[in-house]
Amino acid sequence: MSYALECKKIKRTGLISAFLVGGLLASLVPILNMAVRSEMYTHANEPALQILLDANWQMMAMLNLLLTVSGACVMYHIEFADNGIQRLSTLPFQESSLFFGKALVLTVLDILALFIETMALAFCCQYWFSNGAPFGSRFFAELFANYGYLLLLMLPVILTSLLIASACKNMWISLGINVVCVFTATMLPTNNFALSLFPFALPFQTLAGTNMDQAIYFMISVVIEIIIIGIVELIYLRIRRCFE
Amino acid sequence: MNMIETKNLTKTYGNFSAVSNVNLHIPEGSVYGFLGPNGAGKSTTMKMFLGLTRPSSGSFAIDGKHYPENRMEILKEVGSFIEAPAFYGNLTGEENLDIIRKILGLPKSSIDEALELVGLTQWRRRLAKKYSLGMKQRLGLASALIGKPPILILDEPTNGLDPVGIHEIRTLIRSLPEQFDCTVLVSSHLLSEIELMADNIGILNHGHLLFEGTIGDLKKNASFRGYPTDNLEDTFLALIDEDNRKRGGRS
Repeated sequence: MSYALECKKIKRTGLISAFLVGGLLASLVPILNMAVRSEMYTHANEPALQILLDANWQMMAMLNLLLTVSGACVMYHIEFADNGIQRLSTLPFQESSLFFGKALVLTVLDILALFIETMALAFCCQYWFSNGAPFGSRFFAELFANYGYLLLLMLPVILTSLLIASACKNMWISLGINVVCVFTATMLPTNNFALSLFPFALPFQTLAGTNMDQAIYFMISVVIEIIIIGIVELIYLRIRRCFE
Repeated sequence: MNMIETKNLTKTYGNFSAVSNVNLHIPEGSVYGFLGPNGAGKSTTMKMFLGLTRPSSGSFAIDGKHYPENRMEILKEVGSFIEAPAFYGNLTGEENLDIIRKILGLPKSSIDEALELVGLTQWRRRLAKKYSLGMKQRLGLASALIGKPPILILDEPTNGLDPVGIHEIRTLIRSLPEQFDCTVLVSSHLLSEIELMADNIGILNHGHLLFEGTIGDLKKNASFRGYPTDNLEDTFLALIDEDNRKRGGRS
């Protein structure tokens, strides 16, 4: 039910259009890159998907991150702006459902944006790397495995940005903190496993070209992070009432 | 039987005591006027009833259910309106009520009933952020009244309304116990307003309950203590004034 309520609440906020446009904008990155300098990439020996991700994913991930943190801040802004959250607190409704409902909506919006981007990558592979021959099922398996991996690595960001947004009544403060986290993540080296576990740094990782053992470690870490962030939010909701 | 009962209810913020050892007794099926100047602790007490803030000490029970053990059960029975209207500005009045309806598991017709009760039917499809202050106030009231809850907690519900609106809402509140068989706790800083609505009153000042009883009891009590009784506003002011003097504050 909380998912349906959250979907209703984002009416007229422009969030769905923002994610569609954001997804399209991120999709333009590999397309434009290939359109203007395809000769730099078509002669490389690596698989097409890996070449495209190595060349474009940092910029695409950055756009996805900014889109996600803005979405999280807007979702809590509508709660705080006219005190809607206070009314919900006086109803037989768990505030944690509000958080997890928002996380689900944001995940669905990210699924949409990442799908558009994945399709753009598939288009680039087909148009610039296939030499006219259609890609087989192995390529699509690799493409969608990468899509699932990117989505999984996006989940800690969704939860962390919502956690920050839920703690700040002023949207500019939560947006500021989230953006600082995004830019901090860009300064962390992606080849350092421990530093890459910073939630905002995870979406810069890709499956293509990553050692399978390391990918598994990342996935396990992401699941642990999701559980920890969920627990932190639940504890925060419990203790907040004591200080109000 | 008392619908709401508190026992030494206290709320402190550091050294400041917002509510201090308050013992309220709100009878079932009555309109209880909660009176006090600004900052007396009325809203804090009401917020505690709704679980928006935790009591520092003491306890309370609503319809025999104790807080915090039965918080969800209490909230199922209470319709509330606290401080200022709370809504989603990007949604229409109708959509705002629909969110509450879904949470409470009420039929769709309850939205029409609530809008009709507060006279907002005509503006149901207007965005809540475009409502005037009075309309926002009515929307807040509609969200408290939706589903006809057995207990209503209304914090200064006539704020921002024009004289006609104040009269309408006052008449509505007065009629609620009879119409819906409910108990109403309504706060205000105006005795003249409470006098027209309430069966029982509680007067709060600096977090302390100065008086609890009927308007008749208040008059008797005031007369006994030598306060003016011709005008209840003067009685109220004299009561508050003396309490302030006792506390060494400004008179």
